[in-house]
Amino acid sequence: MTMFHFLNCAILTFGPHFVYYSATPLSEYDTLGTSIKTAIVYLVTALVKLVCLATFLKVSDSENFDPYQELLKASIGFVDVAGLYFALTQLTHRNISQNHKFQAVGLGWAFADSVLHRLAPLWVGARGLEFTWEYVLQGLEANANLVLCISLAALGSLMWLRKNKPKTLIPIIYLCAGIVATMPSITSYLRRGMGWKLPEVVGFQLLASLVIAFISWQLFAACQRPSF
Amino acid sequence: MLSSVIALCLVVLACVELGDAATAVDVYRLIQYDLAGAPFGSRVANLNHHAVSSLSASNADLSRTVVIIPIADLDVSSIEDYIGRKQPLGGLLFLLPRILNSGNRENKQDADQSEQEIKRDKLVLLERLLLHSNIPYPVYFAYEDEHIKAVLDDVKRNDAIGQPATATTGGYKLVISTSEARKVSSPSITNIQGWLPGLKLDGDSNQIPTIAIVASYDTFGAAPALSVGSDSNGSGVVALLEIARLFSILYSNPKTRGRYNLLFGLTSGGPYNYNGTQKWLRSLDQRLRESIDYAICLNSIGSLDNELWLHVSKPPENAYIKQIFKDFSDIAGELRVKVGLKHKKINISNPRVAWEHEQFSRLRVTAATLSGLSSPSEFLENFGSLSDSRQFVSETAILRGVKLVAESLARHIYGHEGKNIQIFAENSSLAVNPSYIASWLSLLSRTPRVAPFLPKTDPFIGALRKELAEHTAEVSVQHENLDGIFTFYDSTKATLNIYQVASVTFDLLLLLVLGSYLIVLFSFLVITTRGLDDLISLFRRPPSRKVKTT
Repeated sequence: MTMFHFLNCAILTFGPHFVYYSATPLSEYDTLGTSIKTAIVYLVTALVKLVCLATFLKVSDSENFDPYQELLKASIGFVDVAGLYFALTQLTHRNISQNHKFQAVGLGWAFADSVLHRLAPLWVGARGLEFTWEYVLQGLEANANLVLCISLAALGSLMWLRKNKPKTLIPIIYLCAGIVATMPSITSYLRRGMGWKLPEVVGFQLLASLVIAFISWQLFAACQRPSF
Repeated sequence: MLSSVIALCLVVLACVELGDAATAVDVYRLIQYDLAGAPFGSRVANLNHHAVSSLSASNADLSRTVVIIPIADLDVSSIEDYIGRKQPLGGLLFLLPRILNSGNRENKQDADQSEQEIKRDKLVLLERLLLHSNIPYPVYFAYEDEHIKAVLDDVKRNDAIGQPATATTGGYKLVISTSEARKVSSPSITNIQGWLPGLKLDGDSNQIPTIAIVASYDTFGAAPALSVGSDSNGSGVVALLEIARLFSILYSNPKTRGRYNLLFGLTSGGPYNYNGTQKWLRSLDQRLRESIDYAICLNSIGSLDNELWLHVSKPPENAYIKQIFKDFSDIAGELRVKVGLKHKKINISNPRVAWEHEQFSRLRVTAATLSGLSSPSEFLENFGSLSDSRQFVSETAILRGVKLVAESLARHIYGHEGKNIQIFAENSSLAVNPSYIASWLSLLSRTPRVAPFLPKTDPFIGALRKELAEHTAEVSVQHENLDGIFTFYDSTKATLNIYQVASVTFDLLLLLVLGSYLIVLFSFLVITTRGLDDLISLFRRPPSRKVKTT
């Protein structure tokens, strides 16, 4: 019974990644290598991030929201962006189009994130006899994270790879990328500063990810047009 | 390399104990014992079943459910009926009222007395039933608290609706995982004896007489880990210690040392026909045993009724008995307590020993039991039952009992019979000490003392020995084996984990929802990135391929 629940939660957490890969043209162009490379970059980035956090951050005993600490955390969060930049620009990819490249990178990034952050708690927690909604919510969070990662990768590819984009859109692209990159800090603020419960936070994340996905899709389309 | 590290972490995490229960409660198992080979008590320790709130829940499969019954709602006859019909059951969990918990002190003293009495009667009946039946499923006791009450309310609500347990309606699973109960190998009983020698005049070759004061200290009850026996026989033990303390003061000065030896005996094995007393007496030196003038056994003197009984086995016309009874009733009159005399002949051929003094009488030693009980209890009963807790024992009653015994002993020893002299008067240096009584009583009320589960080296036995050593000149400890017709089983205490669980139907439903979500997602992605035709062709292609290959 509990194994059943674990499987359910695992499907919710990791299923969308596989569905995304097989449903979109990514599978036809064999971009698995790119995704795996990105996942490795993610691991290295996570390690660097951990070292930074351990070096600069005080261990807070209280659950309170400390603005200074959170600012520091947010700036360390930009290590992620650096990692993504590396994955997008420095990795040698077999000649796949920019369109597919950012999707593969975002997918690999989100999958590595899910495995690293969610698999172990899921394995330990969801197999217990006690039933909680927590792991279902965590699975939904993973879905939102997937959308956010792909959006960020899309915005990143617009920023760093595309040269001839409309000048008016540049500030909007940077703004959006900034918002997406600070998303972890925003949710942390909602949870601890505002005292939101987990279901509310996850709902917000889902909504935010959908909005941002829509915006970045529009931006991407707008940048695509003049090149044709 | 990293992936191997992650794999290692996962393996470690998988081995971590899953102890994240919503609630963990201390529970105490019903005793499990064999009496001359016949099994009694709860025969199983492990528990892993869903909870229901009453035995009459018709829609549940009772052989796979645990019934939670608070003592307040208990109907003993229905349980008796159920056990009598030998129907299968997953388990029983009785919730004891919190007032019985001797560990918590902030009880309201003004609790409705009559209501408490009803509960006590029920508990006594329940205990008698459980002790003497063979129950093939686990039976546990727990104290009520907020968590378990909340769980019970939820369970009751579900039972009322008649719905099976699901995650959203709050199904609960009770899990107790302990090792199966094992036999306690060679249960031992420990007797502690203290000796306070009297004054022997020079040139007096005759042995001076001895007076023995005896109390049995061990207990027996439905739940061994809860069997504290504040009244039976904690009160007797406390009284004995206080009497020893008082006489040690008198005997420390040669001027006030009496011409009697005092022998104090804390005996074990009381519930088992005073097995320990018998063995202790047999092991005593023959001359010492013959020098015993009389013995006073103290038993259950802590309840606040103005009536005490002197139980004897010799006829009341006997000169010694007359003397003892007169001593007691004189002082009782001064203390405004009634002391009655009860005579019960002993039957040597019957192994049943109802009072401790009967073991003395069997060896032709004059003895009497001072008790608050007017008639002997049944075998194994009234030795620290569940309801025998600190709340129902009065310090004043023990104080009075101590005074009664000590004063009558002193008058006998110093030859002041019939005179109205208070030796242990209040506010004198020989006054009975209420705080001493209170502190020992609270220690006894916290310590379960069922002999087979009380090893020889138990700190409690050490404490009794040390206390007696402080007040007497000579202390000896005697270890004996309990006579062989009893076999006891361990695992008297465990932790109950209460989990809120989801039903299989719920998990299936969740799987269905998730599956359709993934399918919708897949279709959506295919349509947006490749177009609707691609999606349709995805489903058409395989048959066309088959056609080609054939």
